[in-house]
Amino acid sequence: MLDYELLKKLCTADGISGDEERVRNIIIEEITPYADKITVDNMGNVLVFKKGKQTPKQKLLISAHMDEVGFIVTDILDNGCIKFASVGGINDSAAFAKQVKIGKNGLSGVVNAQPIHVLKADERKKNPKIDSLQIDIGAKDKEDAKKYVSLGDSIVFDAPYENKNGRIISKAIDDRFGCLVLIEMIKTELLYDMYFSFVVQEEIGLRGAKAAAFTIAPDSAIVVEATTAADLPSAENEKKVCCVGGGAVVSLMDRATIYDKQYCRLAFEAAEEQGVKVQTKTMIAGGNDAGAIHSSRGGVRTVAVSVPCRYLHASSSLIAVEDAEAVYAVVKATAEKILSR
Amino acid sequence: MKKILKKLCVDQGLSGCELEMYDTVKELLSGIAAVAHDTSGNIIAAMGDQNAEKHIMLDAHIDRIGLIVTYINDEGFIKAEPVGGMDLRALPGSAVTIRGSETVLGVICTMPPHLSNGDDELSKDKIWIDTGLPADQVKEQISLGDSVIVYSQLRELLNHNIAVSALDNRAGCAVLIRCAQKLKDKKLPCRLSLVFSVQEETSELGAGTAAFSLAPDEAVVVDVGFASQDGVPSEKSGKIGCGGIISISPVLSKAVTDKMINLSKRLNLSCDYEVTGGGTGTNADKISSSKGGIPTGVISIPEKNMHTQVEFVSLDDMEQIAELLAIYVTEGGAVNA
Repeated sequence: MLDYELLKKLCTADGISGDEERVRNIIIEEITPYADKITVDNMGNVLVFKKGKQTPKQKLLISAHMDEVGFIVTDILDNGCIKFASVGGINDSAAFAKQVKIGKNGLSGVVNAQPIHVLKADERKKNPKIDSLQIDIGAKDKEDAKKYVSLGDSIVFDAPYENKNGRIISKAIDDRFGCLVLIEMIKTELLYDMYFSFVVQEEIGLRGAKAAAFTIAPDSAIVVEATTAADLPSAENEKKVCCVGGGAVVSLMDRATIYDKQYCRLAFEAAEEQGVKVQTKTMIAGGNDAGAIHSSRGGVRTVAVSVPCRYLHASSSLIAVEDAEAVYAVVKATAEKILSR
Repeated sequence: MKKILKKLCVDQGLSGCELEMYDTVKELLSGIAAVAHDTSGNIIAAMGDQNAEKHIMLDAHIDRIGLIVTYINDEGFIKAEPVGGMDLRALPGSAVTIRGSETVLGVICTMPPHLSNGDDELSKDKIWIDTGLPADQVKEQISLGDSVIVYSQLRELLNHNIAVSALDNRAGCAVLIRCAQKLKDKKLPCRLSLVFSVQEETSELGAGTAAFSLAPDEAVVVDVGFASQDGVPSEKSGKIGCGGIISISPVLSKAVTDKMINLSKRLNLSCDYEVTGGGTGTNADKISSSKGGIPTGVISIPEKNMHTQVEFVSLDDMEQIAELLAIYVTEGGAVNA
């Protein structure tokens, strides 16, 4: 079993894109006794080398991103409330009337909601746009608020974490789960030398991975992610994309990448050999760091293995423990298959 | 006050399930009042001189809004409908607790961006809840009719402000309990009934039945009212920190209302006013026409974000209303017995 106490620690650490420090510190602390070389680059990516029993012919990079979606303070209003913008793709409804934490000290706030009693019937049925919302911290006025909040402060969801009955509900599973998989691999004895990157700023344009892939200059890469599952009552057939409980997700194509076909096959074979469930996505949707990595330098053969995750960019996302275990098994076995060639 | 609120702002006590709060209220009032409940489930605390000619009733509804499980499908997804005027906009993607044979954490289903631009019309007929559990396990732990409460933790904000769900109207209940604490061991010139009434959010049922059974000479209703915030007209609201909103309305007793206004002036307590042309939208509408008519007043705690999981009040406002009511009762109310 993966270390789900560590997943809790990673998910509850706050780190929107550009503010990954707390997550980075946890990761470095966890891997330091096990890694052979750890560097933090200029963007804040954690680049890791770990020796295995053998040195393979090629360089394999396994990558996950540290950042989570959230918000950033853009203005402090005369009434003491905060205007904010989303960092990463967040639906308007995900922000509305949520409890949040602001800044380094985790100051409590709430996203205000104009009471429905004063709304017209049609206004009650639509979520207002994020740019029309305000966060309330209880400040009396602008001067009062400025004592506690500064422009550019990070804002994260204040939401529960629960791991019970084989499923996990938390914020930031995208992609602290991927970070967990990498950490767990670094903690084991590896068959082959491998490179790992814990990257920044995936959610705002795959930015950290671009730099990490340049520096490490791998021949092949595995991206470990959480990907959208829409297996909900109101979604039909292919629109479910992938299913929670359906196993590790090996993407064939998404909006950023057409994946290496041979590597995808290897991943499916790895799953079969490991006796774990595997599925692919039934829609060309989403995108991840593979987009930046596979096009790095002269090109990198890339595959992505993800945990299916419902409500990905929201305060409470949901995954199944069996899928998480399957992803770990598939990533590890696929890495060995790639490097044994 | 914060301690009282922490005990009251819990998942229990959706409209129709208020007796889940009975033990909590009893504990909070132990040594202060005799607590019982009536047929409707109203929790009633008796204080003062039970033989006095004058009988004052203070009312705060104890039910909270939420959802009720109506259906479980073959995949284990749970369908639920609102109980009370839920703000549907606050539901998509929110965590909820389902009060089944075990308390289960779930999430209200919401479509990811590739299938929706977030512009979908919200409807109370399309609320699905996801526990992530297999159908057989869901059906074992959860039954039709179970309560669903939107997840929220009590958070202290700046300047003694509190945000959590259920403040409507557990904040009012907390004010009644604080008022009772202030009156403890005092010799009251009247009989006092504190009514924690049921089903305000659905029909104001409890206030009506309690007023009929208790037949008080006068009543004051404590509820939450709109606090000033963007998009709320100033005439309908009072500022957070204003000390309390006294209602002025054709359905209310002028004597009770004036007494509260005069008291606030005499005691140098600040307050705001809300004037309505018709009913007040609170239990007072029911109580004031109960029996042969019961003189009734309303004082409200200004609250932001009403009917969401981030309801927001000031502890200072609550404290001040409790103080005003305690003196109101000590002086034997407004109406001559």
